[in-house]
Amino acid sequence: MNGMIGLFLVFAILMALPALEAAFAAGDEPGEYVDRRVLIWNLFFRMMTVAFTVGAVVSGTMIWQIWRFRESHPKAKPTPYEGTDW
Amino acid sequence: MGHHSNWPEWIYIGIVIALMTWVGAEAWNVERLVEHVPEDAEIIKVTGQQWFWTFEHPDGTVEVGELHVEAGKAYKFEVSATDVIHSFNIHDYVVLIDAVPGRVNTVWFAPDAPGEHDIQCREYCGLIHYNMRGTLYVEEAST
Repeated sequence: MNGMIGLFLVFAILMALPALEAAFAAGDEPGEYVDRRVLIWNLFFRMMTVAFTVGAVVSGTMIWQIWRFRESHPKAKPTPYEGTDW
Repeated sequence: MGHHSNWPEWIYIGIVIALMTWVGAEAWNVERLVEHVPEDAEIIKVTGQQWFWTFEHPDGTVEVGELHVEAGKAYKFEVSATDVIHSFNIHDYVVLIDAVPGRVNTVWFAPDAPGEHDIQCREYCGLIHYNMRGTLYVEEAST
């Protein structure tokens, strides 16, 4: 399991590195004439895309779990602590 | 309880950590870029008080309620207040920073085209807060 955690830690670092490099590079020289409207709104749209995607996946998973693991589902199996007297 | 595999949980945790790291890094990167003032930015002192804005240019020119700048130049605002907390906002250029008594907050922008834009207070500052407005006039570059 530790291997799995390490793997995802590596993935996380790999994803973050390009942004971190760009961020550190920005401190080395005078700022450029950036259009803050473009930067800020683009960030907003990217974050909203992530937020809505995550929201859809999480709510979709919950809806599926509720549907699949309801007592009346044809393939429902009692868990050991619920007993077997169905 | 029998033994069961919990790898889906670890994958879930890994994805969440990766996403949060990415979101944090992206936001931090943009913040660094946006806050990084160009070397040749002209400094304009902005003072908020109930219920109007005062702008002081480097040559000593003072404007009240309106601000004239040139397109294609960078401007750094040093924002403060004399009485209560205000918030300096040029909505069209996504400029927004608190004006706090006894403190100088900075924000910069570079208008890219001539035009007129609203300046407003975005922190409730008293009875006439709603009318604490100004106008930004972006003029053609002189040079």
